[in-house]
Amino acid sequence: MDWSEILLGVVQDGFFACIAAIGFSSISNMPRRGYLACGGIAAVGHALRYVLMNKELVGMHIALASLFASLTIGLLAVLISPRIKCPAEVCFSPALLPMIPGMYAYRSIEATIACMCATEESVFQHYIYLLESNGLTCIFIILALVIGANLPVFALQKLSFRATRPGAYAHQK
Amino acid sequence: MRDYRRIFYPDAAINLTANASADGGHVHAVANFLAEYASWMLGCGATCIRIVKNTRRMAQAFGVGFDILIMPAHVYVSTWNEEGTEDYVAARKVAATGISFNLNAVLSRFSWEVADNHINLNDATSRLKELCAMPRTPKLEVLILASCANAAFCRLFGGDAMAMLVVLIATLCGFALKQFMLARKRDQRLTVIASSFVSAMIGACAGVLHFGSTPDIALATSVLYQIPGVPYINCISDLIDRHYLTAMWRFTDAAITTVCITIGLLAGMALLGINWF
Repeated sequence: MDWSEILLGVVQDGFFACIAAIGFSSISNMPRRGYLACGGIAAVGHALRYVLMNKELVGMHIALASLFASLTIGLLAVLISPRIKCPAEVCFSPALLPMIPGMYAYRSIEATIACMCATEESVFQHYIYLLESNGLTCIFIILALVIGANLPVFALQKLSFRATRPGAYAHQK
Repeated sequence: MRDYRRIFYPDAAINLTANASADGGHVHAVANFLAEYASWMLGCGATCIRIVKNTRRMAQAFGVGFDILIMPAHVYVSTWNEEGTEDYVAARKVAATGISFNLNAVLSRFSWEVADNHINLNDATSRLKELCAMPRTPKLEVLILASCANAAFCRLFGGDAMAMLVVLIATLCGFALKQFMLARKRDQRLTVIASSFVSAMIGACAGVLHFGSTPDIALATSVLYQIPGVPYINCISDLIDRHYLTAMWRFTDAAITTVCITIGLLAGMALLGINWF
């Protein structure tokens, strides 16, 4: 096991997830004070998923790893949101976007069109297999992401829905 | 406020005429204010549970009974006085403001200010107007940040440096077109198709001109900046809180946007004659 390579992978993964989250949050008119928090949460979540999925470390399936990563993202968002005076979902929505399974979605579309164009049954069956495999993985990842991130918000409602209250963190001013 | 969007329930209007009083005026004004507030919250992408909690908090501060019905295109707020002698229902069309985390944050904070500081209704109404008129993030800043984000996204999917560069340019062009079309009030779905088409055409250059070793990742990622992540996430939040109708609305809306992205992507690929399948 090459630890330096794994560490580099984790850092790179977190860094690019951070940039992606900040950029995507700007599309949805994120207040500037939230950029850093949102990028940081995305970096932690994505790096965690990287570690969980790494075959030399944990080797978890991408859907399950996404669930743990999104739970972490949701929890961090609930804890950090009062400090930046933003609702928790404002913090975790952009942080989840770098984990959206875009390639699985693309491969599903690819397989759908290939099915349509197939003239032989064996070729058709092959692409149906690819469509189901990629499509199901894509759906389960998305479900894991959104359910995992929302659960802490509902579990810690008192904290989540008081995040924007003025003076909630007055002692820090 | 936007009177043209105001809808009165006929029955409520008759009731008001018959029982006009100072208390009744307050009940009406609070209903109108809360409906306006809820329409902006729903428009900016707040979840139903947050809208309900925020509006209820303010209704309690104004001393009226309160209930809210959130529909895909409208919100209905009903208010009544303690004695139950006056009641009123106000409805508003959802404000077409686009997803705005900033507006979500300031309006949530505003609801606490109203509740904690007992701001009077007139001041609250004028403050709401000010908040809703707040400017969005400058377009150039969004364009640059979104392009860098999509390039980073490409890297996360395993794209090489050349693929990242192609995705950066594809996003710059596609997103600039999107901003241009939205500023001119073009249809949102047509805008998504057109900008996906442009991004896909440029993203496909990596394959056509043999740039780098991951052209398929460049093409697939070039359109992903348009993925409607917020509606998908809010959809699950609404499902958990049993707002099934709004959840289905958000999901359908997001699914239609996803289909539009796919149409633009496939049209771009078809025009360039790309067949990687």
